[in-house]
Amino acid sequence: MKLRLSMRVNGNAVELEIEPHRTLLEVLRNDLGLAGVREGCSTGDCGACTVLVNGKPLVSCLMLAPDAEGASIVTIEGLAKDGKLDPMQEAFVAKGAIQCGFCTPGMILAAKTEDIPEGNLCRCTGYTKIQEAIREERRTTRPQA
Amino acid sequence: MRAFAYEEPRTLAEAGALMARPGRNQLLAGGTDLLVRLKRREWTVDTVINLKRIAGLRGVEARGDHVFVGPLTTLDELAASELVAKRWPILVETVHEMGSPQVRAMSTAGGNLCNASPAADLAPPLLCLDATMKVWGLRGERHVPLREFFLGPGKTALEPGEILTEIRIPPALAKGCFIKFCTRRAMDLAFVSVACAAVGKDVRLALGAVAPTPIRVLPSVEEAMKRCAPIDDVRASAEYRREMVRVLVRRALARVAS
Amino acid sequence: MKSVGQRVPKLDAADKATGKSRYVQDLRLPGMLEAKILRSQVPHGRIVSIDVTEAWKVPGVRAVLTAKDIPAKVWGYSKDQVALKGDRVRRIGDELAAVAAPDIEAATEACERIKVVIEPLPAVYGMEAALAPGAPLLHAARGSNLVQTHLYEHGRIEEAFSKAAKIVEGTFVLPAQQHGCLGPAGAIAEWDANGRLTMHDPTQIPFLVQRDLAEALDISPADLRIVQPCIGGAFGARLDLYPHEAIVALLAKKTGTPVRILFSRDEDFQTDPVRPRTIVRLRTAAAADGTLLGRDADILVDCGAYVSWGAMTPVVMVNTFGNFYHCPAARYRARTVCTNTQPTGAFRGFGNPELLFPMETQMDELARALKMDPIDFRLKNANRAEETTPAGGHITSCGFKEVLEAVRTRLKRPAAPAAPHLKRGIGVAAVFHVGGGARIYRSDGCGATVKVDDFGKVVVVVGATDIGQGMETAMAQIAAEELGVDVSMVRVATQADTDIRLWDVGVHASRTTFIAGNAVRLAAKEARKQIEDARAALKLPADAPLDKVVRAEHFRQKGRLITASVFYDPPTSMVDKANHGNVSAAYTWGCHGAEVEVDTETGQVVVKRIVAAHDIGRAINPMHAEGQVEGGVIQGLGYAMFEECVLKDGRMQNGYFLDYRMPGIRDIPEIETVLVETNDPEGPFGAKGIGEPPIVPIGPAIANAIADATGVRMREFPMTPERVWRALRGNR
Repeated sequence: MKLRLSMRVNGNAVELEIEPHRTLLEVLRNDLGLAGVREGCSTGDCGACTVLVNGKPLVSCLMLAPDAEGASIVTIEGLAKDGKLDPMQEAFVAKGAIQCGFCTPGMILAAKTEDIPEGNLCRCTGYTKIQEAIREERRTTRPQA
Repeated sequence: MRAFAYEEPRTLAEAGALMARPGRNQLLAGGTDLLVRLKRREWTVDTVINLKRIAGLRGVEARGDHVFVGPLTTLDELAASELVAKRWPILVETVHEMGSPQVRAMSTAGGNLCNASPAADLAPPLLCLDATMKVWGLRGERHVPLREFFLGPGKTALEPGEILTEIRIPPALAKGCFIKFCTRRAMDLAFVSVACAAVGKDVRLALGAVAPTPIRVLPSVEEAMKRCAPIDDVRASAEYRREMVRVLVRRALARVAS
Repeated sequence: MKSVGQRVPKLDAADKATGKSRYVQDLRLPGMLEAKILRSQVPHGRIVSIDVTEAWKVPGVRAVLTAKDIPAKVWGYSKDQVALKGDRVRRIGDELAAVAAPDIEAATEACERIKVVIEPLPAVYGMEAALAPGAPLLHAARGSNLVQTHLYEHGRIEEAFSKAAKIVEGTFVLPAQQHGCLGPAGAIAEWDANGRLTMHDPTQIPFLVQRDLAEALDISPADLRIVQPCIGGAFGARLDLYPHEAIVALLAKKTGTPVRILFSRDEDFQTDPVRPRTIVRLRTAAAADGTLLGRDADILVDCGAYVSWGAMTPVVMVNTFGNFYHCPAARYRARTVCTNTQPTGAFRGFGNPELLFPMETQMDELARALKMDPIDFRLKNANRAEETTPAGGHITSCGFKEVLEAVRTRLKRPAAPAAPHLKRGIGVAAVFHVGGGARIYRSDGCGATVKVDDFGKVVVVVGATDIGQGMETAMAQIAAEELGVDVSMVRVATQADTDIRLWDVGVHASRTTFIAGNAVRLAAKEARKQIEDARAALKLPADAPLDKVVRAEHFRQKGRLITASVFYDPPTSMVDKANHGNVSAAYTWGCHGAEVEVDTETGQVVVKRIVAAHDIGRAINPMHAEGQVEGGVIQGLGYAMFEECVLKDGRMQNGYFLDYRMPGIRDIPEIETVLVETNDPEGPFGAKGIGEPPIVPIGPAIANAIADATGVRMREFPMTPERVWRALRGNR
């Protein structure tokens, strides 16, 4: 039996029919084609599938899609506006915080709210340049803080 | 995950009726444990019963002679509660040692306790705070002290069809500490965890990951050593766990005494 | 220089930051099916029967393959591997059958319905047990579980030890390490109507896969084309041909439609070609004045159930063993052994972390025993520029002294901690590694084409592979520097396939910047000469814009295009039978210093600070060179402190990220990176390789710091709290 699911994804209203055993990750990747939501482990341990749900970073692999009913979701595809990178994306690019890039979308989204994104694994960078990028973003976007 | 039927009851009665139907029915709270078990095919399930549409199961508030913690309160909501921060900083400290920000925003207090992992992080501090579990069932409501709630790994005092509706904490202020001993500084499971809290002059001690269930013990190293019964597993040996109980209980008692 | 030496952001960084990069998980072809492999749950056994009848009953199933349905070809490094096993299984995870279906659920369901009967055979897990008389044999044809013995010797070893003032010895145990690539393995196969196969495959060795996969499929390599999607981490994990690549191609052939296989995380843990379990027995001798006299090693390396690159780590270990430090006598034996565990492969450092933990521990032990400063002791025995070692290595540039001094000035002894159960200490360890390719294969070359189009855009087509390290950007900087254009005018065609790109042996051995960089530099130089010739012939002024010159040359009578192709193969040789030879065109040195705090009651070690100094020749891009150092340091910290595959009866017990503990952001110390530029004569703009060296010395530096803090020597990785606690109590 399929369920109706309504949510906002990257600012757009989305309505679709889903099987209830689908995760938010599957719906975003497979039904909505948002491939930037990366599946690294599917058990909530790596953070690669992180998306913002009502402003909070969550692992979409452990969220049952029906639980996203009415939610506002931001994926990495929704961060850049009018072709201009978000300051966090810019900082990651400028500071060399990206190597293979598989963890990057989840890391950037988690870093929007977390100074130390401890729920996101990176195997390439050793995190040093990720920390630099987050500090740089905080410095440029919150100069008073 | 394999396909399953899915229900969103609006009341406890509806949920209870669904639970009573034949087949393997499973309650869904935060999902961070259930989905992992389903994905790994450790559990099979016919119907998932999502509790989130039932009113009154979420939030933290003072009620008469106790503080109500709804079982669907997420870990980050628990830690963000001013009531909790003011009375029991030990709970805030504990939550910050659990999982990751993403998981803390999804996992629930009730889920952490009802899964009855011997290493459940919330259990030792709540044991120290004398928490009681309020349970609803088709045959009525009852109260189970947390000390009697855990029966073994994955086993609780919940009868089939019963649902945890409240974690009830006596209002007395406590100062204390939670020591989670593990390898990494985040995203890890405890080899040993120790909660120690002073409520007035009463010092209380509880241990995690060193017995089939989390345990409350009398506040001394000797008692802790007597009561703990750790096992060898992929994370640590029983011998090491025992010795860490000795070291960490001593440190926790000293910290609370100072 | 305007481009080389600049901190240019990675050319693909914006795509990766916005989720636009396409990994194998993101590609979808019309009609594409998903594949699933049924794997053995028995570590060793004889296959009695495989009944697939029920699998076909799952709606949508399009193909079910077993060994009976595929070409009977053996392949792999020792010709002991097949895509699907027909008679024997040799480990948990061996491939028994494969299904293609429209979605992964149906394919999984079909696999679960296949009935397999396996008669269990006795299995063997430890290397010593596998070598014991009467041990169960994995490959009967080999007659033994011993795969190969590697020997090396120089000088008079017995004499060296007999006249030593101090001898240290020990047995060191190193665990299997998982690559832990965040992007799990996978591949897509599609056949065209002419019977030609295209593989979308995140491999590190496109040209070797072209050859090896053709062999496994019994087709001509000319009918095979490899396209690499974006690669979600590699570190050596994608350095061989693996059964899933052959299986997905066979399923696509059978169904006549594209088929994709994606590994789940569990499956990735179960099949990852892990760094081999290694046991090193080592003794080292020195004279009273601190002169190194001799070293003697006996090593066991676990190949797992089939022979892949894990079996080749002794070849890299011996290179360090024979070349590193002035050591007049050295004797080496390494044996590679098959056991009923997952096959082991290449992992960043490739044997060097396994060997240098013992070697650098004993350098520290000797320095202490002789009451010398550990850095002075190393300096006294250090390699120098312009010398040839007893093993035949020819050293050109050498920054060993500089990296040692860089650590000496930056690593300070910390103040004593307040609590009596805490102890602090510092330690150092060094690394020697190839930095100018490594001729472990007959070719160590790479081809590159540079073209300059009518609009002044420079396109570099190079055989090399970007695995996140920043190859693309380094090549663009080299081409831009040589051509005198801005980096923004250069594109590197990383999407190009093996039909278009020129040969490269693969991304390994820290060779890409050096080898591919030289190829690109030479091609760019040739293109620049064509431009200069055109400018002169057409009498254009020196300041005429590049695009104008190119167009003028293009459109004139008998005009020509600006394009140059070059093949660069470094001036090196393979080692001879006695393991002597100069395998690399340049060598590189590094030194790490570590500061630790040890809780002596719990055994918990906190690494507070790391100084990492590396002789890099020249940093083409300092930001990305630092990235290689920081990433290597933390991967090496994981190996030393956290990571191991816990096996029980051949089954991995911790095959998920929660219990296979890779370092997280809270676990990292402050890292100070020092890049020492020695300007190598053969390297492009003086550059040498930096990909692997940083993973090597971090572990022994931490172990030496623990010894400094507590007096206790750790000889087993990972140095978990429990192991350190046991060592502190004087037992194991």
